Amino acid sequence: MSRPGALPSLLPLLLLAALAATSARAEPYLAVQQGFKCTQCHVNPTGGGMRNTFGDVFAQTLMPMKHIDTGQEAWTGAVNSFIGIGGNMRYDWTMTDVRHQPSANQFSMEQTRVYLDASMIPNRLIVYADELVAPGGATNEEAWAMYWSASHDWYVKAGQMYLPFGFRLQDQTAYVQQVSGINMTTPDRAVEAGYLHGPWDAQLDVSNGTAGGPVVGNGKQFTGQLSFVQPIWRLGLALDLNNSAASGRRTAYGLFGGLKTGPIAWLAQADVVVDHTSQESLRTAGGLLEADWMISQGQNLKLSAEQLAPDLSVSIRRNGQTRWSLVYELTPIQFLQLRAGIRYYDGIPQADIQHERLYFVQLHAFF
Amino acid sequence: MRWAAVLAAAAAAACTGNGHGLDQNGQPLGPSGSGGVPLTAEFTSIQDNVFTPICTRCHIGASAPEGLQLDEAHSYGLLVGVPSAEQPGVMRVAPGDPDGSYIIRKLEGASGISGGRMPLGGPYLPQSTINVIRQWISDGAQAPQGVAHIEARPAFEVVATSPSDAATVTAPVRHIVVVFSSEVEAALVNWTTLQVEPVSGTEFLTPTATPIPSTFEIAPGNPATVLINPVSPLGPGKYRVTVRGTGDSGALASVSGVGLGADYDFVFTVEPAR
Repeated sequence: MSRPGALPSLLPLLLLAALAATSARAEPYLAVQQGFKCTQCHVNPTGGGMRNTFGDVFAQTLMPMKHIDTGQEAWTGAVNSFIGIGGNMRYDWTMTDVRHQPSANQFSMEQTRVYLDASMIPNRLIVYADELVAPGGATNEEAWAMYWSASHDWYVKAGQMYLPFGFRLQDQTAYVQQVSGINMTTPDRAVEAGYLHGPWDAQLDVSNGTAGGPVVGNGKQFTGQLSFVQPIWRLGLALDLNNSAASGRRTAYGLFGGLKTGPIAWLAQADVVVDHTSQESLRTAGGLLEADWMISQGQNLKLSAEQLAPDLSVSIRRNGQTRWSLVYELTPIQFLQLRAGIRYYDGIPQADIQHERLYFVQLHAFF
Repeated sequence: MRWAAVLAAAAAAACTGNGHGLDQNGQPLGPSGSGGVPLTAEFTSIQDNVFTPICTRCHIGASAPEGLQLDEAHSYGLLVGVPSAEQPGVMRVAPGDPDGSYIIRKLEGASGISGGRMPLGGPYLPQSTINVIRQWISDGAQAPQGVAHIEARPAFEVVATSPSDAATVTAPVRHIVVVFSSEVEAALVNWTTLQVEPVSGTEFLTPTATPIPSTFEIAPGNPATVLINPVSPLGPGKYRVTVRGTGDSGALASVSGVGLGADYDFVFTVEPAR
């Protein structure tokens, strides 16, 4: 994405962005609320990570309750016409209460990421890196190069990247993120082809299929996703076939959709995963229903219900697990968000660890 | 409000299991109604009480994070004596050394780990459970009785390497790891069956020097894993590792005499340290 070196005013850009009706933002619910695709706000066409110019301006003007006028140009991430930077920091206080265990609370650095993109040929050729710098030692999450067609209808991307499979939720512990194994903790080395035209949004990836682990044999993973995006609704299908030789085979199916009803954005996703290991096959399923109520600009209330079926050979009435989340998100000023919530896990009576209450407060700073 | 009604309907449809016929880890009870072995400092117990019910929510199948599959069929072979993918200088499980085992650091959320504490997002394991895993490691990280994990896979093949094939890693590289599907015949682990050589080229690789002087050993506590230790850490360049599976000069085989059947090689590139 080309980056204006300076923005004397936000208004022209916002107007331009508002007229360019496609794509979205970090949290998929915002994409549903706005009727966007991911590429509207993110450098990465499949979402997550660094925001592009539109995303940066949106985050400063339409997200916060109050925009503090600094008297300076808007932040667009642009270091110069070719180089852009960005970042996210999430710092948590959590209290965990597991049945028959003493509760524990702690401050923790959930993650700090820095992003860099170099647009050597503006709007056509991009090199991108996403580095997880905390907690612990620095880890490269994504590093890829992407070539866009002149019409921006299709692109080819190669390098280490997150694979597309349903909604790219911020919460990596959501059941639908866990059962597929495809989320923002498991980048893989891949080649991705994408097609974005009108309401259609499609990706096809070929990857090592080891989620960053050692590679053996010639098996590869094929991941595909097709979405139809309308201003107030969307529907998508995802498929993953992993035949990474010595690791066994995995097939994952995903169905996801979004709907906007007034101030509420609805998200739903269902995944079914079949693992063929050396000993047996295991079928797992996860489901998500999420409602995001935009109370007012800068305030969002998120309520989600999740279902996990850890082994479909056993009735869900015997082994099912559920999780409920209630999260309040406040963005008082640009670049700063406060989140507070509770997650309620429930499972079989005899498994204490399936009965958890997680309370958290999170400081989310981003640029 | 309509949206509340929809969520209420979801609540009614959501299903929490009653646990009938399952042990305390959610696994089906055996025919005798038995199940749920108590947590002790033995691998089978840790597998049944920790890895299977908790870790395999993510660490299973071909897409397991960092390639670490913790289901019963793979966990021991990919843990014990195997360098972690996140920090190759640290063993996932270093037999006899819980503090030096990356799994303990990840479970305890120690400073210096890469990525998040495990289980990701919690709830984290009680320290008492971690202490049992510590004890198992202190006791030498013994394999399950009868080495069941190995007997279940009688074939002899390379199942993992570190660095992986076609990988680019940062100098210096002090260890190369080759994980086999069953126990390796230690007497055959030497310079005639394992070779590291610098190469050049892309499609057709050409050795650029004599093989790298190295020592060879079975991974401590894990007879299915071989460690290749270059006498001098590998610097920048491209390297090929060959595991001899055929030939008069020696071929690697399992303790039960099953050979690889063919040579196996993998290539990786070492970049200068930043």
